[in-house]
Amino acid sequence: MSEVIVITSGKGGVGKTTTTANLGTGLAQLNKKVVLIDTDIGLRNLDVVLGLENRIVYNLVDVVEGNCRIKQALIKDKKYPELYLLPSAQTRDKSSVSPEQMKILVEELKDEFDYIILDCPAGIEQGFKNAIASADRAIVVTNPEVSAIRDADRIVGLLEANGINKIDLIVNKIRMDMVKRGDMMSIDDVVDILAINLIGAVPDDENIVISTNRGEPVAGTDSRAGKAYMNIVRRIMGEDIPLENLDVNIGFWTKLSGLFKKN
Amino acid sequence: MKNSVMIKGNKYGIVLVLDAIQPFDDLKLQIAEKFGEASKFFGKCSLALSFEGRQLSDTEEQEVVDIISENSDISIICIADSNKSRETMFKKSVDEKLGQISSNLGEFYKGTLRSGQALESDNSLVILGDVNPGARVASGGSVVVLGALKGTVYAGVSGNMNSFVVALEMNPLQIKIGDVIARRPDNSGDKSDGNAQVKIAFLEGGDIYIEPLSKEVLSEIRF
Repeated sequence: MSEVIVITSGKGGVGKTTTTANLGTGLAQLNKKVVLIDTDIGLRNLDVVLGLENRIVYNLVDVVEGNCRIKQALIKDKKYPELYLLPSAQTRDKSSVSPEQMKILVEELKDEFDYIILDCPAGIEQGFKNAIASADRAIVVTNPEVSAIRDADRIVGLLEANGINKIDLIVNKIRMDMVKRGDMMSIDDVVDILAINLIGAVPDDENIVISTNRGEPVAGTDSRAGKAYMNIVRRIMGEDIPLENLDVNIGFWTKLSGLFKKN
Repeated sequence: MKNSVMIKGNKYGIVLVLDAIQPFDDLKLQIAEKFGEASKFFGKCSLALSFEGRQLSDTEEQEVVDIISENSDISIICIADSNKSRETMFKKSVDEKLGQISSNLGEFYKGTLRSGQALESDNSLVILGDVNPGARVASGGSVVVLGALKGTVYAGVSGNMNSFVVALEMNPLQIKIGDVIARRPDNSGDKSDGNAQVKIAFLEGGDIYIEPLSKEVLSEIRF
């Protein structure tokens, strides 16, 4: 039985695409057959984050318009043969695809894959409607910032209005040092406001920037973000994994220099 | 009655489908009406005309051509047979001609082509600027980029295997010549290495080769 998950946020830049790439990679590492669909027509990114940009010949719009078969447009990942990408078109816009067409497309992919993950564009317009049309469940990504949380709240409302009731939350780019100083909202604060199930939190990690530029997701690596993503993957698969401690082990010298800075 | 005259189009011109039974004078009225309606759509253009569904005499054909030019801005440059073998011959010669034209004629484009932008032409293209990742250049002939080529480039779209691609900085995401496609190796990023060389990409024995542009390479290029 395959599951269709939409990764959405409302606000841009919170890490939807990075999350999609990492969850897909993580699921593939656990031997699940996964397809990632980039629904951000006109501003495609997922192919770049996965390092597959140079392999694109056909895209989502080509499939929908019947210029090619789905199999021709699917790109196999470099590292994980069970991971596929359906890239978006760059020279078109969101109105090239309708929610009904997305439903038909996803229905066709369901026979082949265990997980179908849709990377949703920012905003609540056509692109968002296309992305959520066929989803069974949603993962809302937000940052511990008021603007991102406002938008996430709006998104949760829209998802519920569209009959998607299984909604989980990822708090992304959290910095425990700032939370401790009281300069950033804590995970609990965010969950209190949004009142949906927290499926994981991902620390702000410079490895993400490095991995994005290299086109190799961090999931499964030894980095803090990589471990956090892997735990989320296990929770998506239904395993009961306690939330990890995101505290950074600050060394003695860092602490000491911190003391001097305060003075 | 209604559909006793139909206008169909193909790549090479228009096909007029005529009812075989109706009197010719009735058809003439309908042809006038149809082309009057469609004149806005066609605008001012030159087309080849062929007939289907009814055998016309030479004078009848001439009458139809006159009606068309009276009722629209279309100028009929020739009347083509709808005979299949002739049609394929016709197509072949048109394509060959187009192929020749595209490799001999060129267009200039000044400016940077950014992600999501596409530049397409039947002719060869000279781009005074960069082609960024996510941008697409497609040409019936060859492509010369006086700048960095980092996007996707298709040369010889209509099948001209002698087309080539030249760039001051050659780092395309994807390159296609004729129907052969090649992609950038995975380990090289978007960043330029600073000491870029002018390079040429061409097709030989079914593979795309990229080599520094030299007199020797140029002398071997045929088009």
